[in-house]
Amino acid sequence: MGSGGRMISVEGIGKRYRLGGPKAIDLRGGLRSNLRRLTSGGDRFWALRDVSFEVKEGEALGIIGRNGAGKTTLLRILSRITFPTEGRFSIEGRVSSLLEVGTGFHPELSGRENIYLNGTILGMRRAEVRRKFDEIVEFSGVERFLDNAVKHYSNGQKVRLAFAVAAHLEPEVLIIDEVLAVGDVEFQRKCLGKMKDVASHGRTVLFVSHNMSAINSLCQRCLLLDDGRIESMGDPAAITTLYLGKNNAELDGEKDLSDSPVSSDGAGRFLRLRWTDETGRTIDHARVSQGFNLQVDFEIAQPGYKPQPVALLYNSKGEQAFMTFAGEGDHPTAPGRYRATLHFPRDLFNADTYYVSFWFCTWLPHKVHFVLENAISIKVLDDLESPTRAPSHATVHGILRPKFQWEIGQL
Amino acid sequence: MRIEVDAKDWRFMPDIKELVAHRDLFVTLAYRDIRVRYSQTALGLLWALFQPLATLLILTLIFGRAIQVDTAGLPYPLFAVTGVSAWSYFAFVLKESGSSIIGAQEIVRKIYFPRLIIPLSKATVGLVDLAVALLVMVALFLYYGFTPHWGMGLAALYLLGIMGAAVGVGIWISALTIRFRDLQHVVPFVIQFGLFVTPVAYPAQVVSASLPGWAQVLYFLNPMAGLVEGYRWALLGVGDPGGLCVLSFISGGLLLITGLIYFRRMERVLADLV
Repeated sequence: MGSGGRMISVEGIGKRYRLGGPKAIDLRGGLRSNLRRLTSGGDRFWALRDVSFEVKEGEALGIIGRNGAGKTTLLRILSRITFPTEGRFSIEGRVSSLLEVGTGFHPELSGRENIYLNGTILGMRRAEVRRKFDEIVEFSGVERFLDNAVKHYSNGQKVRLAFAVAAHLEPEVLIIDEVLAVGDVEFQRKCLGKMKDVASHGRTVLFVSHNMSAINSLCQRCLLLDDGRIESMGDPAAITTLYLGKNNAELDGEKDLSDSPVSSDGAGRFLRLRWTDETGRTIDHARVSQGFNLQVDFEIAQPGYKPQPVALLYNSKGEQAFMTFAGEGDHPTAPGRYRATLHFPRDLFNADTYYVSFWFCTWLPHKVHFVLENAISIKVLDDLESPTRAPSHATVHGILRPKFQWEIGQL
Repeated sequence: MRIEVDAKDWRFMPDIKELVAHRDLFVTLAYRDIRVRYSQTALGLLWALFQPLATLLILTLIFGRAIQVDTAGLPYPLFAVTGVSAWSYFAFVLKESGSSIIGAQEIVRKIYFPRLIIPLSKATVGLVDLAVALLVMVALFLYYGFTPHWGMGLAALYLLGIMGAAVGVGIWISALTIRFRDLQHVVPFVIQFGLFVTPVAYPAQVVSASLPGWAQVLYFLNPMAGLVEGYRWALLGVGDPGGLCVLSFISGGLLLITGLIYFRRMERVLADLV
C-alpha cells in the first residue's frame, strides 16, 4: 500500500446537522415554517468537529465515547454513507462495515438470488460472488433452501445467510459498530469473532464499542471522542481508564430522569435510577458484606407494550459481570408508573466500582427500545467482616466474589 | 482502490468512472426489480402486454371512432400505438425512478454506492415494458401491411431522446422527493396531465392549428411533445417534426443535465434526510 503503510488518513473532518424537527420538508407544515427551516442557520450543531487521525495498515483502532459523542457519525462519514461538512479523508482499499449485514435482502427472491443481490450491494463483483458462492452457501448452512424465497426463511437462517455473505467480503478496511448490534447477542458475538479473525489477518479495523475489555484486547490504539471532538488518542489501556475515570467522576448513586422524553417509539421511559441500602436510603457506595438494592422507576407510556428494564453490570475494567431482568410473567402491561427493585445479597460483588447500563426492553416481540449506557455506578468496598475477604496483601481475582458454601471435613 | 472524499469537492457532474465500476450492482438491481415485478403475479409478463393493449383499445374507441381525429389516412390503432409505446415508458420511469430513492432508504442509510444507480436501474426495468409495447407495434405494422422503410432508423434516435428526457425528469423527481415528500402525490397528476398535453392520442397539428403562438411554445416546452411527434413522423411519415419541436429537444436535454447536477448535490445530504 502506498503512502508509507498509511491506510486511513483523516484531516479536519466535521459534520454539521440541523437540530430537531422533521428532516424533510412537509407542505402540511405550512409555507412559513418550511421557509424558516430552509433559511434559518441558527439551530444547527456540530456532531463532529476537527477530527484528524491516521491509521496504519494492519492496525486496529478502537473508538470510544459516550452516546452522542460522534462515534457513529464518524463511522458513517468514513463509510461514505454521509458526506462531511468540512475536511477530507482518504482510504486505501475497499471498506466494508458490519452494520450493513443483510442490507437489501429481498423477501420475494430466493436465497441464491439474494446472495448475488446482497453481495453486489456490499460491493462485490458478480464474478466474485460466483467464485465464492459455494463457500458462502456452506458457511450459511441453508443449502437445502437455496431456491426458496427468503420470506420463508426463519430469522436465524436469514441472519446466517446474511452473515455468510458479509464474511466473504475480504475488505482491506473493516468498520464495526458494536453499539448498533445491541440486543442481538448472537450477532454481537459473530461481529466480535469476525473482528478477531480480520484483525489477526493483518487487516485494518475501526472498532466502536462500549465494551472496554474488547477494546483493550483487540485494539492497538484507541481514540476517545467527546462532544464531537477528539479528547485523546493513544494506548487503549490508558484511554479506556481515562474514559471510565471521567465517567466515574460524573456518576453517583442516583440518576433523576423524570425530565427525559418518552422513547421515540412511544414505549416509555425511565424516571429514576438509584442505589439504596436496606433502609431505603440512597447510597453511592456499599461494603462487600452488605446487601443493597437497585431501584428502577419507569413509565409505560402506551398500552400494547409490555416493557421492562434490563440491567447490565460492568466492573471498572468494562468487563460485563452479568445482565439481569425479571421473568417473563412478572412484567406489568398497563400504562402507568412502576418501580422495580433488585435485591443484591451480601457477599456477591468484589471490591470494585460497578457501572450499570439499562435497556428498555419488550419481551414479545423482543426489542430493545433504547439503551442507557453507564447510567449509575456504585463503589463496593472491602471490609473485615466479609467471609470472602482475601488474606492481607493478596487480591481476590474475578469480576464477582460470591460466597459459596465450602464443606470441609476430615477424610 | 483508493477512496478520497473532500468536503470542498463541488464537482457537479456524476463520476462516470465510479458508475462504470458499479455496473454489476446496476445489473443486479434491475434484475431484482424485473423478477419481483413479474414473478409473483398470475399473469406475469402478460401484464406488460395487457397494459398497452388496453390503452390502445380505449384510445381507438374514443379518439378513433367517436371523435375521429385526423390521422392523415392512417388506421387509428397504428397511429396511436407509436405514441402509446413512447408515453408508457415515460410514465413508467417517472413513477418508478421518482420514488426509487425513498423506496431504497433502508439501503441508502446503511451503505454507500453511487446513488444514481437507483433511478437508472429503475429506468432500465422499464425497457422490458417498452420492448413488449414495441412488439405490439410491430404486430400492428404487419397486420395493416405497413411496409418498413429506412427512415425508421431515425425513430431509434427519437426513442433515445425520449429515454433521455424520461431519465432526466425521473432523476429530478427522485432527488426532489427526498426533500419534498409531497411530490410523491404530485407525480400521478403530472402523468395524467402529460398524457393530455402530449400528442399521443391526437396529432400535434391539432395544437398548432388552433392555439395561439405563446400556447404553442408552452406546449412544446413539454419535452415529450416534440419527441413523440418526431418519433411518429420517423415511423409513419405523418406530422411535422420541425419548427417548435426543436424546443422539446432543448428542454429535454436541459432537464437531463440539470437533473444530474441537482442529484449530485442532493447525494451529499441524502442519507441525512431519508
